[in-house]
Amino acid sequence: MTWAVEAEGLRKTYPGRTGEVEAVRGVDLHVRAGEVFGFLGPNGAGKSTTVRMLTTLLTITAGRATIAGTDVAKDPDGVRRKIGVALQEAGLDPRQTGRELLTLQARLYGSTAAEAKDVAQAQLELVDLVESGDRRIKEYSGGMKRRLDLASALVHEPEVLFLDEPTTGLDPASRITIWEEVRRINARGTTVFLTTQYLEEADQLCDRLAIIDGGTIVLEGTPSDLKADLRERKQLSEEPTLDDVFLDATGRTRTRVAGEVAEVQA
Amino acid sequence: MRQTLLLSSRALRESVRTPEALFPTLFIPLFFLVVNVGQAGKIFPGTSTAFLHGQGYAGFQLPSSLLLGASFGSAALFLVEDIEGGYFDRLRATPISRTALVLSRLLAESVKALLLTAVLVAISLLLGVRVASGIGGFLLILLLNAAWAVVYAGFMQLIALKTRSGAATQSGGLVFFPLLFLTPSFVPRTMLTRPMEIAASCNPVTYIMEALRTLVLGHVDWGSVGLGFAVVAGLGVVMLALNLRMIRNYD
Repeated sequence: MTWAVEAEGLRKTYPGRTGEVEAVRGVDLHVRAGEVFGFLGPNGAGKSTTVRMLTTLLTITAGRATIAGTDVAKDPDGVRRKIGVALQEAGLDPRQTGRELLTLQARLYGSTAAEAKDVAQAQLELVDLVESGDRRIKEYSGGMKRRLDLASALVHEPEVLFLDEPTTGLDPASRITIWEEVRRINARGTTVFLTTQYLEEADQLCDRLAIIDGGTIVLEGTPSDLKADLRERKQLSEEPTLDDVFLDATGRTRTRVAGEVAEVQA
Repeated sequence: MRQTLLLSSRALRESVRTPEALFPTLFIPLFFLVVNVGQAGKIFPGTSTAFLHGQGYAGFQLPSSLLLGASFGSAALFLVEDIEGGYFDRLRATPISRTALVLSRLLAESVKALLLTAVLVAISLLLGVRVASGIGGFLLILLLNAAWAVVYAGFMQLIALKTRSGAATQSGGLVFFPLLFLTPSFVPRTMLTRPMEIAASCNPVTYIMEALRTLVLGHVDWGSVGLGFAVVAGLGVVMLALNLRMIRNYD
């Protein structure tokens, strides 16, 4: 079976001031084609580092990874043709218009000028930015930038779309719009690999998920299986939430004040 | 090459849309030209100063201003903006050649420098300067100054790629700035004090300045012009090699 994303023993170390820092410590992942896979973890757990290795932006210290059968370390350009990437900070050029950015992106993937023009128009329609397409990106709102970022990651119709915290910092309405876009993209057959800190987001979008903590995978499964497993294991009277699953898996606790999550402590 | 041209076009569009970044590259060299001529013009009258070959002091000063205008390294400042803003990672995640990522900005820088040099020379004509080597010499001035702009931007790009910080890139660029003044910028090398002459002789910028000067003042010394081009070509090869090495190891 060819996995959309496969990683075995993935490790990343950096030279630190007090010696070697191990950001990712042997991650194994198997993502099926066509699914939305959630990659969760607290800050500094190794989510973004893993994504950056899988998307060729960081070298792999040890282990191996393939995207749709192409080895990330041996054929990075082959992988780059198969993936779309939208990182934490919307990577956009504020001085270009949305249309110019998409046209350039399409041309960098080999489209002719005429093809790129059509692709840009189609992508603007996909993310509902046709009316703003000829405005400079610096004039866009945060939500519009995220949608354009998504569109930019899709110009070459990638097999796997990597989204690193796509809704961080967005208001609830913009977040729901992004969720709808992700569902639409996935419905067209694109595998989505999504990192998020929002457990509700993972619950809403993901077919399966993995939780990473301290650079290693601590839990993996479908949201419903993980919740059912926790309920059975802890003999809970109510259905646990994905928050409970996350806290249990990462060994964190929370203090509830008047029904609100006040803090999550290590 | 197609990818390099695509990204160069984008870099040029970016510059056109940021006139506030272009303005100092024109204004500051002109400022120094006018001020330096104002301060030393009477000391070196064109009629009785042999090294001016019959021109005013502005002709002698013009090469310093041209080199100054070509030494802002704006390519690197835009590059570091891309790095800090995340667009550089978007480009790195595409299957384009790593060479195109650094070469495109240097190519755009050369185009900007060609235009800037032409404008500065045109304005200097109003100050009484004439390019004594004619149209051919003028074209060589454009070429040499643009090549220097590429070298300097290449140096700044190294800082940008290494530090990934706008502040560090700007201040790192200033470290190289004094080199522009450790040259025979006010008088010929033979008139400098011995320590200054040694420093100027060790400074590659001196040879580019002297090549530009011989093209402006006339009595073209082809050895000097050739040496200027050789120095800039050598530095260009070094900067390009270092940029390619840096981008290939960028993690």
